[in-house]
Amino acid sequence: MALFKRKNVELASADASENAIANKETEGLSQRQIVVKRFLHHKVAVASVFVLVTLTLFVYTALDFKLGPWKIHGWWKYKIEDIPELRTADCAGGNVGCPTWSLRPKFLGGAGIGFGEHPFGQDDIGRDYFALVMKGAQRSIMVMFIVGIVGGTLGTIIGAIAGFFRGTVDAVLMRFTDFVITIPSIIIGSVIGFHFGNLGATFLALYLGLFSWTGLSRLVRGEFLKLRELEFVDAARVAGASNRRIIFKHILPNAVGVIIVTVTLLMSGAILLETALSYIGFGVVAPDVSLGLLISQYQDSFTSRPYLFWYPGFFIIAIALSVNFIGDGLRDAFDPRQRRRLTLKDRRVGRAEKKAVE
Amino acid sequence: MFAYIMRRLGVLFVILFGSSFILYNLAAISGDPLEGLRTSSEPSAKQQIITLTRELDLNVPPPVRYFLWLRGILGLFVGKLDFGNARNGQAVSTLVQHAIPVTIRLVTMATVVAIILGITVGIVTALRQYSRFDYAMTFVSFLMYSLPVFWVAVLLKQYLAIRFNTFLSNPNVPIGWNIVFSCVTGIFWAGVISGNRKRVSQIFFGVALGNAALLQLLSTLNWFTHPGLGPVVLFGAGIGVAYGVTQISVGINNKAALRASQTMALLALISYYPSQYLLKHSPHVSTLLLMLLFTLLLGAGVGRIFAKIDRGPIMRTSTLTGLVLAFLMLLDKLMQTWFPYLSTDAVNGRPVPTIGQMNALLDQSDFWMSTLDTLMHLVLPTIALTLISFAGYVRFTRGTLLDVLNADYIRTARAKGLTERTVIMRHAFRNTLIPLTTIIVVDFAGIIGGAIITESVFGWVGMGTLFRQAIGSFDLNLLMAVFFITASLSVLANLIADLLYSALDPRIRVGAGK
Amino acid sequence: MKLRFSKRALVATVAVAGLAAAGVMAPAHAATRSTVVIHETNAFTSLNTGTPDTNLTTNTDITYLTGIGFNYYDDKKSLIKNTTFGSYKISKNSATDFRTTWTIAPGRVWSDGTPITGEDMMLGIVLNSSKYSIKAGLGDPNDEKNPPVFNSISYGGTFDSHVVGVPTLSADKMSVTIQFDQPIPNWDLFGPGVSPVHTIVALANGKTSLLSASEAAAAKTAFATAVTSYDTATLKKYAKVWNDDYNVTKIDSSTNPNLLVGNGGFLVSSAVTDQSVTLKPNPKYNSGPKLSGGIDTVVFRFIADGTAASQALSNGEIDLYQGQATADAVSQLKAMKGVTVVGGTSSCYEHIDLRTNAVQGSKDVYKGIFADSNPAGKALRQAFMLAYPREEIVSKIVKPVNSNAVVPGSTFVMPGQSNYGVVIAGNGSAKYSTGTQEARTAAALKIVKRYYPNASASNPVAPVRLEQPSPNARRAAEAALVVPALAKAGFKVTAVPTTGWSGKLDNTEWDAEFYAWCPSAVTQTGTNDNFLTGGGNNHMGWSIPELDKALRSLESVKSDAAVNRDIITAERIINDNALSQAIFQHPAVTAYNSTLKNVKPAPLSPTLVWNYWDWTY
Repeated sequence: MALFKRKNVELASADASENAIANKETEGLSQRQIVVKRFLHHKVAVASVFVLVTLTLFVYTALDFKLGPWKIHGWWKYKIEDIPELRTADCAGGNVGCPTWSLRPKFLGGAGIGFGEHPFGQDDIGRDYFALVMKGAQRSIMVMFIVGIVGGTLGTIIGAIAGFFRGTVDAVLMRFTDFVITIPSIIIGSVIGFHFGNLGATFLALYLGLFSWTGLSRLVRGEFLKLRELEFVDAARVAGASNRRIIFKHILPNAVGVIIVTVTLLMSGAILLETALSYIGFGVVAPDVSLGLLISQYQDSFTSRPYLFWYPGFFIIAIALSVNFIGDGLRDAFDPRQRRRLTLKDRRVGRAEKKAVE
Repeated sequence: MFAYIMRRLGVLFVILFGSSFILYNLAAISGDPLEGLRTSSEPSAKQQIITLTRELDLNVPPPVRYFLWLRGILGLFVGKLDFGNARNGQAVSTLVQHAIPVTIRLVTMATVVAIILGITVGIVTALRQYSRFDYAMTFVSFLMYSLPVFWVAVLLKQYLAIRFNTFLSNPNVPIGWNIVFSCVTGIFWAGVISGNRKRVSQIFFGVALGNAALLQLLSTLNWFTHPGLGPVVLFGAGIGVAYGVTQISVGINNKAALRASQTMALLALISYYPSQYLLKHSPHVSTLLLMLLFTLLLGAGVGRIFAKIDRGPIMRTSTLTGLVLAFLMLLDKLMQTWFPYLSTDAVNGRPVPTIGQMNALLDQSDFWMSTLDTLMHLVLPTIALTLISFAGYVRFTRGTLLDVLNADYIRTARAKGLTERTVIMRHAFRNTLIPLTTIIVVDFAGIIGGAIITESVFGWVGMGTLFRQAIGSFDLNLLMAVFFITASLSVLANLIADLLYSALDPRIRVGAGK
Repeated sequence: MKLRFSKRALVATVAVAGLAAAGVMAPAHAATRSTVVIHETNAFTSLNTGTPDTNLTTNTDITYLTGIGFNYYDDKKSLIKNTTFGSYKISKNSATDFRTTWTIAPGRVWSDGTPITGEDMMLGIVLNSSKYSIKAGLGDPNDEKNPPVFNSISYGGTFDSHVVGVPTLSADKMSVTIQFDQPIPNWDLFGPGVSPVHTIVALANGKTSLLSASEAAAAKTAFATAVTSYDTATLKKYAKVWNDDYNVTKIDSSTNPNLLVGNGGFLVSSAVTDQSVTLKPNPKYNSGPKLSGGIDTVVFRFIADGTAASQALSNGEIDLYQGQATADAVSQLKAMKGVTVVGGTSSCYEHIDLRTNAVQGSKDVYKGIFADSNPAGKALRQAFMLAYPREEIVSKIVKPVNSNAVVPGSTFVMPGQSNYGVVIAGNGSAKYSTGTQEARTAAALKIVKRYYPNASASNPVAPVRLEQPSPNARRAAEAALVVPALAKAGFKVTAVPTTGWSGKLDNTEWDAEFYAWCPSAVTQTGTNDNFLTGGGNNHMGWSIPELDKALRSLESVKSDAAVNRDIITAERIINDNALSQAIFQHPAVTAYNSTLKNVKPAPLSPTLVWNYWDWTY
């Protein structure tokens, strides 16, 4: 395969010994194994996968989860519809509904380690803020994945077809892309909102996805234009591969780095886009809740009740950050030309081997 | 090529026509422009409904009304572009005319800063791939990318404006803050330079202590209310700049370039008082342009005198040094304006504003005062916008540079025995710029559409604010004007990006496959 | 690396040398302040607030400072006579001939020195009377095809329906008399209006400088003649000036001075488009209360974003802030040093309405739970109102913003008005406010159980669809409180967040609606349109003959006591039928630089600036 041809050339380079180490690791492995192995070496990315998975499980199991006729009870005691008594007595500074979670054990004069009644406090009318943040995080994660999947798929397919077939197909698809770029998605959102009422966060995510693929398709097209000229594509064609097979089996894997990075940026961008839309009133609408809506509702609580501002903010950042790092890790793992960073241990081993050879 | 461009332009018009038609109709059915009036208990509400219906042709069905609007737009070709009137009776073209320069002023600065910082950090992180610094910068840039801008705005205003202004009333850096700042600076530089453990700790302590001492000194000297550089600091900084610019531009081993740059520093010292005199007594943009021209000529001249062979790079180096020094002199002049600016009644000792484009109370006739005022009003929005667009440039530069560094021609360049500096600056970086340029073009066009939220939280009335206003009040003419301008720009920018890409990279042909 | 160290050291050394030499100067000190910077949400668009396009808060606030007339509202919603400027009285009072006379006190002058006289009151008829407009060939305001030449917002309404002919100028030219075809309640709100007509003439004649005294006098006469003689051509020329010339957003020394003539305490001196308007005291001001003299510049600054405005206040960029702040913004404002926060109300009040019928004249039929056609309708409406958590809404949503907030007992008269106590004592509102909410909810549940026997607090069954205006955070919170509270009384409320809600108010889908009315003046008949059968703002299909009778009775001139009696009669019917209840007055927060004295926010326009003459540092 072309990948290995390139590797072989690299062997000749000045730092051949280091390449030898890197290469040795990939010897006899399938591409998938190489990718997994490389990804696992990116510690921050691995940690991010862990964080994202844990976070997703945590927020989705916290509240009641309904799927058709089935309903799974959440582990958290409040729902977002509940309106418990608004606490006023035990908060400092005349505030109401302050957070109760505490890490200070009882014998040190604290409330004991634990969540307490309302770990993240209560909102203006007494709703449990933890439940609201959990619900909001569910929405934001869902928006993120839907936008990622819809936008990613559309962008890849349109870009791939345009770049592969070139000519008229390319021109038509790219002008269609230009057309979509010109239409502000916010207008579509307000048209839908006005005529059909609030169709919920899923719908919002879907139509955001339908408008978010343009950048990706341009990039994928560029990659395809470049890759389709390479020898291995000719080889595949000579071997009788169909266009579909060439696109999906031969070229796409080589463009996957670009796609992944763009899609992860798109996904973390989606969270922020939803936040921005909620801020100007076109995003998720109350009584539904999203992190963006919470943070924009309580943007001026920053000096008086900072917890209303920080908790949803923390979740936004945590989700967006881990998605970005996962993307970073995947990019490096998929990029066949990228060399892994050599640890000190590798170098030592390498030197020892070199000596042994000499 | 010409045929290709003409064809693209033709298609562009078709696209604009199609999308504006669709958008017009969608926007027209997205809400009821008379909504507020219908629930009004004012006796004049019915009257207003009649007037607005007439003024905005609301009784004409939207698909037909679109062509009324289009007629105004097509006036473009006879020099009479008419966007119609906004809901409040103002001509949309007037509103847009006011908004565009505002947006450009807001966005240009931020984009330029983001590009410069982003590319610099991107290069460093690519060169130090998988180092602690790389991870830290990746983290920081992703973190910034993850922050909602209105949130950043609230925080910036609280700390960089309100708290900083309060600090200025008693400008002593508290010991705690000093320690924090110095540690952060130390960590940063230790990260950038890196090396073995000993070296890292040396750098950290060196920088942190130096920084702490400097801050302490500046606060004892009341430098924060009476800033300035003065000729001596300027000369010192000039020598530093000479070394730095030479190192990046041609390498420190090029003695002729270094001499030339140092001479520029000396010339800056000599010309300090004359130029101060000139700036004080002839405060005009033309003076600044003249001084710029003078600097360019001087730089080129000095470079030429010192250069024996290979004149171009040396002249470039000395000119660059000259420009940096000229910038420092200008900065010095602005710093000297700082205290008078602080003491005006209009500013009232609180120089960092949180809103607006200018201070209405300040006498705008003084050139330096009004320049400083404009700059101060740009500070917070620029930082906010820079923070959010910074991440993209860092990641993109890093990725592209890493790709390029693995290319065969880089290996060839290294094999020829070129220095690492030459390989990176001349071979790798230049090729990184190709895709970067096209991205920047598209970004710029997109950004004219307005930083909707940034503009409104900082009280700037630009295109983004107009757009938001238009949507909020179902102001069709205003909305369509903003749409028309931004859509044309973005489609045009994509065309330019495509052309630029093929012009810069000969491997790519536009309109290929025909 | 060596380089960096040496550079740092060098910088430090040199800094010592350079700055020590400069010496330590005196720290910055603030001069005595004489400037007030006021926050406005929208930008300034025109000096003429009389057109539909320019009748905006910012414009009216600014022009309030530059011009004053016969009366103004204070912070108690009382109409105060400006006796310095002039006086007014009823000069004839019969069933078919009702006249009011308006006299300007001698010696009042415009800012250009021209005396204010009766001719200055002749523009009003042109702007207010459709009959005049038609007769003078200036278009018919009610005909879309023949728009009025003067693009005035004031056609329609009481004045327009009843005014007769043209006001007559007295012999000394200091007063005018307006004739109506019947007595008009609140006639003192329908005065002639005062404008510097000589500047309109000057502008129409293309003058770019102020007129001399004799030119001004001639211009005044010319104007009055044009009006009284229905001179179409000349009036059209004036209309062009009136419609367009005042629409300026940038004002500087090159602006035509005729545009800036006024008789208020301040005059516009400069304006920057979309940013600010600056006003300076009017040296010739003698038309209203004396200026305190402590303020020599007033700046209106436009900031759309509420949070941005409050941060600007804490950064000292503005001195006066008013807005619909959130609870957090208020506590943030309160925490600021040197800032005084006053919780007050705006003129808007939130109310809950229950449907009895489809709107008169529509083909729809309303068959919901509260319908008149349902024998249980009235009882269920009463139960709904009993259980509606008004106190909880006020304490959780409004009080954090305005700690003085109370649940209003009337929709006609709001707390703070002088007749509020009298009205609520008799209007039957006590039924919905005595006892605890628990007790009232229990009583409501009992009623509901009569018609829905299996209803209970845990099994709400009586279906109610509630229209919830959206997107709006406060309304969402209200709905979130209402649903569980009414469930305790057996109502199963479905709150539907609705965008474009105001166009859907007539929809029979809704059993209940809550939103706000924002009256801009206090008049006897101000609420009639909301409750009369077929009234323009009666979206719930209410139609009760006795109620109509009581409301019609308010449409004549009568004593305050008689007005109160009519209001009580009307409200007793409304409360007994459980049609509508006020929930709260919208809070408005005013925060200002504590060193500024005598700021007294008022609910009615021009809210904050109504007593600008008293402000001082």
